[in-house]
Amino acid sequence: MITVLTTEEINEIRKVLGREPTAEELAMFEAQWSEHCSYKSSRRLLKLLPTKGKNVLIGPGRDAPAVEVFPGIAVIFKIESHNHPSAVDPYNGAATGIGGVVRDILTLGAKPIALLDMLYLGDPSDRRAQWLIKGIVRGISDYGNRIGVPTVAGDTWFDSSFNTQPLVNVACVGLIRVEDLLNSKPIPGDVILVAGNPTGRDGLLGSSFASKSLSDEPGRDIGAVQVADPLMEKVLIDSIVELVQKRVVKFIKDLGGGGLTTAVAETAADFGLGAEIFLDNLHLRAELTPLEMLVSESQERMMLVVDKQHLGKVLEVLGKYDVPSSVLGSFDSSGRIKVYFRGKLVADVPARELARPRDVYRVSRPPKELVELVSPVSSIPLVPVSKALRVLLSSPNIASKKWIYEQYDYEVGVRTVVKPGYGDAAVLRLDAEDVRGIAVKGDANPRYTSIDPFRGAANSVAECYRNLVSVGSTPVAFVDEPNAGNPERPEHFWYFEMMVKGVAWMAEELGVPIVGGKVSFYNEDSRGRQVKPTATIVGIGAVEDVRRVKTLDFKQEGSAVLLVGETFPEIGSTEYLARVHGLEVGEVPIPRPNQELRNASYVSKLVENDVALSIHDVSLGGLAVALAEMAILGDVGVDVSVEKVVCRGCTRIDEVLFSESQARYVVEVPQERVEVALNLAEALGVRVSVVGRTTSKKLFVVRANQQAVVEESLDELRDIYERNLSELLE
Amino acid sequence: MKSFKEVAPEVEATVVWHKDFKSVNDWDAVVIPGGFSYGDWLRAGAIAARSEAVARLSEAVARGIPILGICNGFQVLVEAGLLRGAFLPNEHGRFVCRWVRLRVERPRGPWLKLAEDGVEVHMPVAHGEGRYYVSSDEYKELNSSYPIIRYIPEQNPNGSSYDIAGLGSRDGYVLGIMPHPERAVTPLLTPRGFRPGGELIFRSISRSLKSGW
Repeated sequence: MITVLTTEEINEIRKVLGREPTAEELAMFEAQWSEHCSYKSSRRLLKLLPTKGKNVLIGPGRDAPAVEVFPGIAVIFKIESHNHPSAVDPYNGAATGIGGVVRDILTLGAKPIALLDMLYLGDPSDRRAQWLIKGIVRGISDYGNRIGVPTVAGDTWFDSSFNTQPLVNVACVGLIRVEDLLNSKPIPGDVILVAGNPTGRDGLLGSSFASKSLSDEPGRDIGAVQVADPLMEKVLIDSIVELVQKRVVKFIKDLGGGGLTTAVAETAADFGLGAEIFLDNLHLRAELTPLEMLVSESQERMMLVVDKQHLGKVLEVLGKYDVPSSVLGSFDSSGRIKVYFRGKLVADVPARELARPRDVYRVSRPPKELVELVSPVSSIPLVPVSKALRVLLSSPNIASKKWIYEQYDYEVGVRTVVKPGYGDAAVLRLDAEDVRGIAVKGDANPRYTSIDPFRGAANSVAECYRNLVSVGSTPVAFVDEPNAGNPERPEHFWYFEMMVKGVAWMAEELGVPIVGGKVSFYNEDSRGRQVKPTATIVGIGAVEDVRRVKTLDFKQEGSAVLLVGETFPEIGSTEYLARVHGLEVGEVPIPRPNQELRNASYVSKLVENDVALSIHDVSLGGLAVALAEMAILGDVGVDVSVEKVVCRGCTRIDEVLFSESQARYVVEVPQERVEVALNLAEALGVRVSVVGRTTSKKLFVVRANQQAVVEESLDELRDIYERNLSELLE
Repeated sequence: MKSFKEVAPEVEATVVWHKDFKSVNDWDAVVIPGGFSYGDWLRAGAIAARSEAVARLSEAVARGIPILGICNGFQVLVEAGLLRGAFLPNEHGRFVCRWVRLRVERPRGPWLKLAEDGVEVHMPVAHGEGRYYVSSDEYKELNSSYPIIRYIPEQNPNGSSYDIAGLGSRDGYVLGIMPHPERAVTPLLTPRGFRPGGELIFRSISRSLKSGW
């Protein structure tokens, strides 16, 4: 095995132990000190994130954070990346990503109720990329569907920089009563139980594999990818929910990255404990060496910490669900992890030093070529607006994602009020007898973050915020996942640094905490080119009454169409510039936190006062695309005039229609309520203009100086919008 | 369970773990829900169909206890030989989750008591192996005297023979249906353009258990 530990790190290990490490010990350090498990390069910067808030019950540090969304009701949610495994074995890589993030939720005792997948994929017309795309979607579909947790939302992006190294970010949301939260401390004498799949040789040192760059022959790394078993995951979910209800388990940790080593070491270190582990007891799939047992990342395994007197009851519940388990040892107060195999002590390491490697200071330097990228866009040719709109609606980044989300069971659990394709975020009710619910959404814009990581990441947070507001929820918390290149290279690390700072800044400004997250480095191809650095944000919003949520489809003819917020001539880095003019350059739209806050509170008021019929945030493709989506999905025509759009400094029609200025929404308001809406806008100091109205004709019409510059039938636009992605992928 | 609570709270419903399903005498009716029994390994429903619990179900059928199989439950009933036909992977090879329109033909028995012949109902499908197959000879028999629930032709999501989405035993005591009635019991969870068609089935069984069918 080629170690990723550096010479300095090996010397450090010698110092910690006061002797040469055994092979087992070295493997344990390698797993635990990998970037993936230890956050050694990122920890210093992650401290910048605002993690506190009055609703935060458990912040970063545990396997998943907990937020009290309603009094007495906690939402547990977590994001996870499986970028490297998915590049090698897309099906299993993506599937095990789902498995892992679901188990993170289970560690706090919560029932998983929703999944999200944020996929940044290659160009669908590239053969390898297409193979990866199909495998990834199928992996998520097969796994998520089989464990009975609905996949309700996500984000999808296609870009050739992800052709060989896609980003597969997945998130899971769980629900639990605050009083049931599994939050007790293990103490000396508590029994360590491993429940779930027998341990095999798959995923050996998978975390250190994820902590370096892809080799030029991805097939060579196949041994580091885990194999998925959704049936075991399903019975693990059921048995753990029952164990938690019976209050017989004290503490749970996923055997994820770093396997047994990480689970035991981090728990011992967190609670000032030591542990004795007897590897002979571990239930196995094949004969393994002690080293392999310590660092295997076989999936669907969890560590349960149990008070001795409850062991019998725990085994009984596991037996009911046919979940195999083994009693591996117990915690003690020694502060050391001692591992025995066949009567021999094979590893004896201090827990704290194992669990917490020293921070690594990484140098950060902006890449030189950046200067050209961010220079202002000028003198691009004028393209007929109609043509540009068609190109944008067929862009796989904008076009309907039906081909993907219809492969996911988004209904199971009978909670999904706003389903994929209907709203800016998914909305789930808490329960059949409860009118309250939560909204969830994941967002990123790899183009923005690759051109201006600070602004781009800030805009991802803002977009997620708007999406949550659009459906009528109040944003409560975010988790984040910066996906970056090689932290050892200053020009790559700079992107990571700026993305974290951008996320931190915007979250702080919006007053919504980042309660947890994950970091993924080494996202580069075999030639060392980093993929587009991407800051993925997943947000949770509270919905007081799910009967009042808003979807984005126009509801009726004769309504006024309101544009909330100000438009600026910001077409740098937009989808329009990329798809229509083939340029991925220019100033990224300016993040505007104050306007975000003001405009969001206005939109929330409209929902509260029942003034809005439909709401859609303006993002990729700008105003024209937002309007077209509302018309297509509602099958209601619309007629708007560009002169009505408040646009400071716009000199061209494409600036008005395709600018991706932040902090904007389109809202449909019934004619008789327009006055209320406009008065409210004035009272709150929000810029709102009536840009047009919905019509009885099934036409999408845009006028400039009374003249129609776009006049398209909705059926035709729908065809473009719905057909393109499935044709590319079929 | 949730569905009964929402549309027929008078029905007392309990979830029974398959290993605890030992005697059919305890129940007036049985629902086998969807959900990838045994992970769909081998073939959807194939392993469950050979379980102890399903052996008990055959006894229940013999005694005339109403049985409803939803999605995977339907697949189990077919695999166990309690309903006719067979299931294949969807024609396009992908899992599909989507709301569809259905038509009920020759409603009969406890589960379709309140349905009128030819009534249109809406509910979502969510399956990977939902392509119902039946030979043309067998179909002739089914089509002459069995309750059938059909996808409206242009909405057949999986290539099922004769657009069959659901099928009853001749007397309608046993009903299997691929779409999910339990997900279509309230307007709140029903997308625009559709109506919650699952209520019909839950109201029917409630009425049937009270006053016969």
